[in-house]
Amino acid sequence: MAKTSAVLRKVGMGGITGNRYAFYISCAILAVLLVVPSLHNGYLENLFRGVLMFATLSLGWNIIGGYTGYVSFGNVVFFGVGATVSSVLWQHYQQQNIVLAIVLAAIVAALMALILGFPILRLKGHYFGIATLGIALATQEIISNIDWLGGGSGFTIRQAGFFSEYYYAMWAICVISLVATWFIARSKFGYALVAIRENEEAAAILGVDATKYKVIAWMISAMMAAAAGSVFAFANGFIDPPTSFAVDNNVFPIVMAILGGVGTVAGPLVGAFVLTAINETLWSKFPQIHTLFFGAVIVLVVLFLPRGILWLLAVRGGFRGFINSLKAYRV
Amino acid sequence: MNLFFQILVNGILVGGIFAVVALGFSLVWGIMNIINLAHGSFLMLGAYIAYVLFANYHLDPFLSLPIAFVVMFLFGYLIQRYIINFVVRAPILTTFLLTFGLSLLLINAALLVFHGDIKGITTSYSGANFSLGPVTVPWSKLWTLVAALVITALMQLFLTGTKTGRAIRATSMDIGAAQLSGVRVAHLYAIVFGLGSGLAGAAGVLVSLSYSLQPSMGDPFLIKAFVVCVLGGLGSVQGALVGGILYGILEAFGSQYVGTGLQDAVALVVLLIVLIVRPTGIMGKATA
Repeated sequence: MAKTSAVLRKVGMGGITGNRYAFYISCAILAVLLVVPSLHNGYLENLFRGVLMFATLSLGWNIIGGYTGYVSFGNVVFFGVGATVSSVLWQHYQQQNIVLAIVLAAIVAALMALILGFPILRLKGHYFGIATLGIALATQEIISNIDWLGGGSGFTIRQAGFFSEYYYAMWAICVISLVATWFIARSKFGYALVAIRENEEAAAILGVDATKYKVIAWMISAMMAAAAGSVFAFANGFIDPPTSFAVDNNVFPIVMAILGGVGTVAGPLVGAFVLTAINETLWSKFPQIHTLFFGAVIVLVVLFLPRGILWLLAVRGGFRGFINSLKAYRV
Repeated sequence: MNLFFQILVNGILVGGIFAVVALGFSLVWGIMNIINLAHGSFLMLGAYIAYVLFANYHLDPFLSLPIAFVVMFLFGYLIQRYIINFVVRAPILTTFLLTFGLSLLLINAALLVFHGDIKGITTSYSGANFSLGPVTVPWSKLWTLVAALVITALMQLFLTGTKTGRAIRATSMDIGAAQLSGVRVAHLYAIVFGLGSGLAGAAGVLVSLSYSLQPSMGDPFLIKAFVVCVLGGLGSVQGALVGGILYGILEAFGSQYVGTGLQDAVALVVLLIVLIVRPTGIMGKATA
């Protein structure tokens, strides 16, 4: 088993950033997306704001789950906290300043990740995943029970000003997250994260301060999710715990990262585009049962693309090589 | 003080269900290293089997228990053998997502077949209860607890007393050595997954006696299974039983003294504390 995984890694994704051209193309696509609001098409603007939001969440998850190898099943907590910060700002302080909301949300989320990170990041594998899931569910329930934070009924945010502002904000957050991931992956910090993922003990022996790096990685991850959440709150106009802590916001980013390629810079963005395209098509073709088909899509993706779309660029040996690569995980 | 005992008894009674839910989940996780997110939807299918048999043939849910177990066992066996087996050795994330996709599929298929309206099973003895000193005990819940204990005991007997059971435990210890000794791992994994799914089906039948039925009914139980597994320790039958009953008590007291809305938060905070202090669970071995 060790042998197969070593082979798989060698085939890899084209180094620590993944395929370089995929990153350049992603940047180009993001640049094109800047023109969407000027088309004055409400449907398209909502759709692509959603893509950018999920891409940001997925990029955030990728830092801790992909690069560091600590698979978080509860990153939605930071999204939810970010959304709550925005709605509280509006409800209690009549603040609509989107930059202020984003910065504040990122600070709150980073502090939360810092405090929770020290005990939680000691846990390995499944246990870390469950602990994060537990934190997400518990936070949702606690917020539902505190009226000052919106409680069970939530807050409505009256959208003043220019609506496309939210689109541009989400776009900026996504671009910053993508470029930040690129630079993180190529830095000493990025290599330390990958070292922790591959073998934490060996990394520690070589002088990597694992705890410090893991906590910082989780804080960065949290800030991306919280920023996306705070913009989502304004764009959505209404926030209550079931909306901000929705299962979709938790699971879609993970599916997207896997679909694109875990531990690559462009993977989450590619995944967000492909998955949204699939979801939209299914939704328009089969409005009643699109979730059923969506489940089937997830099953097929996992079975046939367990290492993501970008990985296909690195497969050697054509179709036969692809089929052989699928056999690696069987018993 | 009477209230205290009543809550304690309620917690123990409901804890039996949690134990059976967690038992199958814990087996699959502990032995195959798969977090089965479709466990809740397997439970839902079990509950609907009981409902269909009750509504059409007036079969008592306790009698449909073995039927649900066998049907769900076969279902789980086929799913493991022909779907999950292809990625069983991939990193946890892969199987996690695969089972999430499966659960979406199953829940929405159930939504198509049974529709979203809430259903329930009302037997002749639903609502009947007896007094035990100051404490009131509903008959159906008492029988549910008895059934849960019997299922757990049978499971323990199977794992320790039969050849297949010993092969399962051997595989969870050292898959290579088990293979060398002639264990067909793919077949065995399918049996384990079948058992897990069968137990989920049986738990669904027990759940159908005291909860209402709808396609997404399994999700809350999935979360509880997580907590119970961590409380009791992975892959251990006694652990699931102790963890289940402990969780039942915890939840009962949580909803009484902290607030009904916060009962899950209480359980989850306990989960986090146990995880941090003793990650292998209360009944788990000291070394994971």
